[in-house]
Parts: sequence; structure tokens; C-alpha cells
Amino acid sequence: MSAEAAASLYRTFVDRDPAAAIQVVERARVAGIVQDQLFDALYAPAMGLLGRAWASGEIDEVAFTQASVVAEQIGSFVMPPAAKRDTGVTVVIGTIHRDGHSIGRAIIGATLKEAGYRVNDLGPDVRPADFLERVEETGARIVVVFAEMMRSARSVAGVRELLESSGHHDVVVLVSGGPFAADRALAREVGANGIIPGAEWALKLLARVTRDRAAAEGGV
Amino acid sequence: MARSTPLLTAEELARTGAVGAAVAACHEALALEDREPRVHALLAHLMLEGDFYDQAIAEATKAIEIDPDCSAAYLALGLAYDRRGGMWDQSVLVWHELAEVAPDLVTAHVQLGEAFSAAAFDDEALESWRRALEIDPKEARATYNLAIASLKREGMALALPLFRHAGELDSSQDELFFHLLGVKDPGSGPIEVAQVEPSRDARLAAAGRALEAEDYFVAADLVRLVLDEDPDDAEALALAAFAYLKQESANESMACALRALSLDPELATALYCLGVVYARRTGLNRHAARVFIALAKRAGTHALVHVLLAESLLGLQRFAAASKAYRLAVRIDPACVRARFGLAASYLTEGRYAEAQWEIRRAAHYDTKRQGLFWRLYDEYAGAGE
Repeated sequence: MSAEAAASLYRTFVDRDPAAAIQVVERARVAGIVQDQLFDALYAPAMGLLGRAWASGEIDEVAFTQASVVAEQIGSFVMPPAAKRDTGVTVVIGTIHRDGHSIGRAIIGATLKEAGYRVNDLGPDVRPADFLERVEETGARIVVVFAEMMRSARSVAGVRELLESSGHHDVVVLVSGGPFAADRALAREVGANGIIPGAEWALKLLARVTRDRAAAEGGV
Repeated sequence: MARSTPLLTAEELARTGAVGAAVAACHEALALEDREPRVHALLAHLMLEGDFYDQAIAEATKAIEIDPDCSAAYLALGLAYDRRGGMWDQSVLVWHELAEVAPDLVTAHVQLGEAFSAAAFDDEALESWRRALEIDPKEARATYNLAIASLKREGMALALPLFRHAGELDSSQDELFFHLLGVKDPGSGPIEVAQVEPSRDARLAAAGRALEAEDYFVAADLVRLVLDEDPDDAEALALAAFAYLKQESANESMACALRALSLDPELATALYCLGVVYARRTGLNRHAARVFIALAKRAGTHALVHVLLAESLLGLQRFAAASKAYRLAVRIDPACVRARFGLAASYLTEGRYAEAQWEIRRAAHYDTKRQGLFWRLYDEYAGAGE
């Protein structure tokens, strides 16, 4: 099926018929080729056929260019999805009160968003009460608190205390920043459930938290 | 004033890298005339070469005290402050002065931006890099710095296209292709298609040279002659893919590269073209990484192959693997500016800010060295004084 479909797609390129090209893609989709595979199974072989036709002189330079324009027009129909699917998991992030550092938060927040998390970024200089308010507003059960100075890192304890006193015992608090990377015991002292040393760790840790939570809820 | 014989000797020795002997000649020159700014500027450069930052600062400062227009001394002083570290306020002042003394010197604005950034004046840093790009829109280091700034504010997804754009401004990317192609002698003068020996190998070699000279029409004619005789010539198709790539015709390039790889799946030049085309498309990072992994197996001794792979890994959020690939690239070629900036980016994703800053400083060191900037400023200044 794939080879035939690729040949059909190639034909639509040469015929300068983008509507027919989209139909070929749709037929391939209906036949069971998923979005992630359309590029490899259909588009790349069709482009290879186009290259062969140009090399052999079957189509001239002008036809090659026009066919490439059609290929460009339907490119978005066959590209693998750029962003990951929505995980449905909301994460509240922010840099703790009296700390204006933003680089780590910006990078990790953007990484989580790209991975499909619903990130609520409260920005720098966030009071514990604001974390609580946003948790209650969004129903988030994961909070990531950033701190880059010793004094501000210690004050993260206020977030955990406020969440506990408001009955949010099940909210996972993760911390990130130089003081926690240097002294892991500090994270425990402030009541955090884990440390995020970097963006890739954030993905791993959140995937684990989400998985564990889903398993626990499934078990109940 | 004419240069003394010991100063001329010192210059000659310094240009050949004989640092110790050049320093001795500078001291001889100072014994004759101790208020000669050129000798102090040269001595500052030599001290910097030997990583004696405090001495470099002292000599450059003397040169500037004697003549506040000594641009080469400002360069040495700024680089010494930057590399010594912890002197960002002085560094900002020096680069600002150099930008005043030599307003069209793009590097002064790039360095000024880096000094501002290190001192956490982010808006001023952005302004300096934009000014650098106004002077030279193809300034790769200013673009790398903008990519780093974008990463710090908006994350990797938005910064990565800027890193790639900067990489394409960097001439090292094309050098990789010609290295893979094996072009040893780019030759001189234009190539006449009619005068190329009518054999496949001679035509492909001439097409490669024409591509290096950015003469895409001649290259296309020669490739066409080869393909007319054998449409299944994978190497000719890879050359066509590169020619299309350079003319921003990504789909034509992809078509030729895919056809070439269907004939010879390990052809490095075709892998390179396909990888670069894939890397430009949102959503094809996984494909690009796959292609660059194959290329790394074929040409793993070239730093840029690992840089290209690392950039694809950044796009896949595999930051640790990207960092590893960047470190390998830096080990192969410590002067690879693109790898240094990439490594800085991957360190930033790990919260290793000091190490990121250090990599940016090393990139500045190698970039100014590669450009031979000190000698350009020195020769202009020394020539004007005579």
C-alpha cells in the first residue's frame, strides 16, 4: 500500500495538484498510517521518486521546482506533530518570594510546556499564599518552587506549611535551584518531595510523579 | 613615528607564535623608548596569549594612558578583563570605549553585549548584539548570543532555530560539506564548463570546486552532464542536493538527497544535506538526529558532525545526550565556537550557569583569535602612526 501511495503522491506533485495530494494523504490515513508515520511511509519515498525523475530527465528543472512547491504546500499534512500531546497534568511553577532569578524557571517551564504539561507560571518573587491560591484555582497537584539563594531556599518551607494547613496534603512540591543542588538535605528540610536539577530531570521526575499518582488512583 | 628595530623583531616573532622571544624583544624596545604605545599593546597581547591576565591589563592600560586611541590595546584589555572574570564593570567600560574608538568594529559590540550580559544588564546586552547585527547581519557570535538570551527567557523550542540560524552564518558548516566531499584544492579563477575534461570524475571534482566558489550555475551544468550519462550517480545527486540547499530550495535538496541515499545509504555528503534539510523543519528533529547519527559513524572525527547531532538532540529535549555530543565536539576542536555556545546552552538547561558563562568566554577567546582581530587593529594603528 505504502509504495503505491507514495507513487500516487509523487504523481500529484508532478501534476501540480495539491488537492489530489491531500486526498492521497487522507486515504493513507484512513488505511491506517498514523500521523507519526506519514512522513516516512509516504512523503519521503515520494520525494525520492521526485529526485529520481529529475535526475533521469523525466521532468525538467521547471517541473521539478513546481512539484517541490506542491510538496511544500502539503508538508504540514504529513509532518510528525511538533508538540507532544496534552498530558492533562497541571503544574504550578514560580520563584519564591524575595528571589528574582528566572532563568531556570523559564527553561524548565518551557520544557514542560513543550512536553504537554499545563504550566501555570507565577513568575519571580511569589509568596506562599499565591502558590496556594493558584493550586486551589487550577486544581494542580504538582508545584515546582525555584530558589537560587540560601535565604530564599529556606523560605520554601512556607509553601509546604501553607499547603498542609489548608488540607492539600496530596500536593507534590518539587524544588529547583543552586542551594538544593548543593545540599540535598535542604530539600527535605523545607518539606519538598524531590529536587529538579535541570530540564531533562524535570521531565523524568514529573513523568514518574504522574505515573505513580495514576497507579495509586487506579489502585483505589 | 617609525617603529624601532626591536619592536619590528617583536612583531615578527609574535606573529609566528614565539611568545617568549617576542616578550624579550618588547623589553628591548622599551629600554629604547618606554612610552611607545605599540610596544605596550603588543606586550599586553603576548601576556594574554600566555594567560597572564594581570600583566596584560597593566600593559594595555599603559598603552591607553599614553595614547587613548590605541584600539589594539582596548581589545587586549577587554579580553583580559573578560577572561580574568569578576571584572564586568571594567569590561563594560573598555568595550564601550573600543566601540567609540572603532565604531564599525562589530566584535566590540558583541563583546560589549557579553560583558553586559555577564553583569546581568540583559536589555543593554540585547541592544549591543542588535547593534552588532546592524553593522554585520551575518555576525554569527551576536546571533549565538541572542539564541542564549532567548533560551534564558523563552526556553529551548524558541531558541533552537536561532542557534541553527547562527550556525548557518558560521562558515564552518560549509567547511564540513567540502571536507566530506574531499575538495583539497579549491583552485583559482572561474571554471569554464567547456574546458572541464569530459569524464565523470573530472566533472564532479570541478562541480565541487564551483560549489565552494558559490558558482551554482556552473556546478548545476556539470552535475547535469554527469546525470545525463548516469541518472543513478549518487555523488552527483548529493552535489545537486547541496547546490539546492545553498539556494534555499529545501524540497529539491531533500528530493536529491533521498534519491542519492536510496542508491548509496552511507554517502556522507547526501546524509549531510538531508540532515540539514530535516533540521530546518519543525517536527523533524528525530529524523535529523537519525541522519546525523549515521553521519557521525561515517565522519566522526569532524567536530561539526557532533554539533549538528547535538542540536537535533536539544530539539528532542534530550539535553544530557546533547551535552555529551557537544563535549565531544569541543574535545575534537576546542576552537569550535558553535559547539562552545551549544555546550553553554545545554549547561543552562542543567542549571550550571557558571560553566555556561565560562563556555561563552572561551567561545569569545577562540572567535577573536580566529579572526586575527588583534593584528588587524594593531596593523591599522601601527601603520597610521608612521
